[in-house]
Amino acid sequence: MTIVPRPYLLTDSSDGALAEAAEILQLELVLVRPATGLPAAIDAHASTRAVVVSTDDPSLLRAIVEHAGARRIPVVLAGENDVAYRRAIEFRVDDWYLAPATPVEISWRIRSALARVAAQANSFTQRLDRAEYEEMLYDPLTGMATLPVMLERTRGLIKDRGEVVIHYLDFVRYSKIEEIYGWEKLDQILETTSAAVREFLDARTKGTTRMMVGFPNDDDFIFLQIPDKGQPGPTDVQITEAGRQLQLFVGNKLEDVYGEDVASLFEIYIGSSHVYYTPKIRFERLIYRGVREAANAARSLEQRERVRRTAALKGVLHTGSVYIDFHPIVLADTGETFGYEALARGVPRNLRSPEVMFEVAAEADLVWELSRLCRARALAGAKDLLRGEQLLFLNVDPHDFADPGFGVLDSIDPRRIVLEITERTAIKDYPKFRERLRSFRERGFRFAVDDAGSGYAGLGSIANLEPDFIKLDISLINSIDTNFIKQNLVETMVGFAKEQGAMVIAEGIERSEELDTVRRIGVPLVQGFLLHQPMRAGAEAGAHAGHE
Amino acid sequence: MDRSSAQSILVVDDNDDNAEIVRSLLESRGFPVFVARDGEEAMALFESARPSLVLLDVLMPGRSGWEVCRLMRQHPEHGRAVRIIMLTALSDWNDKQSALQTGADDYITKPIDLADLELRVRRNLALVTPHA
Repeated sequence: MTIVPRPYLLTDSSDGALAEAAEILQLELVLVRPATGLPAAIDAHASTRAVVVSTDDPSLLRAIVEHAGARRIPVVLAGENDVAYRRAIEFRVDDWYLAPATPVEISWRIRSALARVAAQANSFTQRLDRAEYEEMLYDPLTGMATLPVMLERTRGLIKDRGEVVIHYLDFVRYSKIEEIYGWEKLDQILETTSAAVREFLDARTKGTTRMMVGFPNDDDFIFLQIPDKGQPGPTDVQITEAGRQLQLFVGNKLEDVYGEDVASLFEIYIGSSHVYYTPKIRFERLIYRGVREAANAARSLEQRERVRRTAALKGVLHTGSVYIDFHPIVLADTGETFGYEALARGVPRNLRSPEVMFEVAAEADLVWELSRLCRARALAGAKDLLRGEQLLFLNVDPHDFADPGFGVLDSIDPRRIVLEITERTAIKDYPKFRERLRSFRERGFRFAVDDAGSGYAGLGSIANLEPDFIKLDISLINSIDTNFIKQNLVETMVGFAKEQGAMVIAEGIERSEELDTVRRIGVPLVQGFLLHQPMRAGAEAGAHAGHE
Repeated sequence: MDRSSAQSILVVDDNDDNAEIVRSLLESRGFPVFVARDGEEAMALFESARPSLVLLDVLMPGRSGWEVCRLMRQHPEHGRAVRIIMLTALSDWNDKQSALQTGADDYITKPIDLADLELRVRRNLALVTPHA
């Protein structure tokens, strides 16, 4: 009769209860001393079933877990306090217990560790793979399924119904929102948008099967509509109408939550295509072709809207239908009004956003004309608005300085005017640019660098423009009370401005916590909806009242 | 597994000595601490331990601290609530802006000043909104 050797239980602990636990489990307890010998012992003894360690040396513990893990041998940690529990999680040991423990409890822990290892061999790598796979299939932000998932889910259904309508939702200017307000805001907006889209579709498409698809790393969505059995699919007219309504619905939602300025930076175009099932063409190819068709349809709508907007802009220029919002800039300490920033808005709804209006003008080569109109309106409105020493802040495009009509003012003293140049465009050719600024400076105009800290230029480039005012980028102010990096950047900017003899303006203040923070940092001037609603000076009061 | 009610901290640093110094400081102040040595470990611990705050080294083999920061922020349940402090030699204006863009809340410059570390950890934890 041969004696079958019992499998080993390796340990660095001389705890008597552990020896009894080994007996319960019919394992041969092998004491390895010093504990540093454990990794080698694990490799040396092929019959090792489990390891119980009591060491609190982290690098040794890591080595033990690594060696044991490579052989799929469970490691149980015997700890003396709750630090052991955290070590257990941190080093991914398979189980742990608080020493001293009874033999029964220890044996139970070892048994459960054995079971766990058997159940999830390679569990960690598998879990990582799966996590990455899921990340690919589901948009982490919106939680929507991506195309491969959706194809899998709908394949049978589409074959059965023989028909599917693919809607392509093309979101324009999301990147602009990120540029102006920062990624946190964009993330929030994407979430609001996908919720709004779902709400709309849930309400409208009763009686049809629907699926949403979100594309990570892209701003667009796809939506499939599969008609119910025996129901005709939607007609092209119905699809176009639904698209128009969806755009309105999402736009209103965004305006409710984020205000007009954000909402007007957002557009949605919906293109659709009908796909009829045929067994002759591979299912995936059929769908992808449909997606492409729908995307093209959306893009052509976008083109058409662009043409329409250019026409609207020409109308604005012809009839002079812009109005001016004057945003008060106030002293952070006293709340006294220091000046006003004039923001020009187009009367037609699709030109309400100054950013959009000037972008359209740039495309149509009408910037000078639009700038002149806006300036004239702003100056006319400011004449009655400015009191005492108050200043008027005007946004100017670098190209404006080349306009011979620019700077000819008869109604207002140039010393009351601050020209705002955005960091985003100003800094390309500044030696020449500074030269141009000089003649304006000599006549008494002052300058502000707008959107400072938006990442387009470093402090050196800003210094080169010798500004009188530095307006911080809105993204730096948004949630500044909870972000210490933003606070640090603004502190740096305030110190830098002092050296330069300039004043810092924090714009986009929406919450009192933000105001308190910039005040504490020493920002002298502030602007934002928290402080004052903008004052409106109409172009033709009647013209824009009709659009309110 | 039972999750500790105290606000736990995940320290991510490929340098064991650094990590242990930070761990012993924070544990002596009563914070439960987890240590990860690289991005993969950090993500796994982030998922299992759900720390309230992450101290993240920028320079690591494999996934950089920036990448890990972005990934953590994308976590559907925990990505918003967690506070992330970068450990870095950031001094430049532009570096700080990239820290902002990856979603960090604060940073600590290396070499680490332990008093500064404790202060920053405390003021960031004070801003953690308790999550369900």
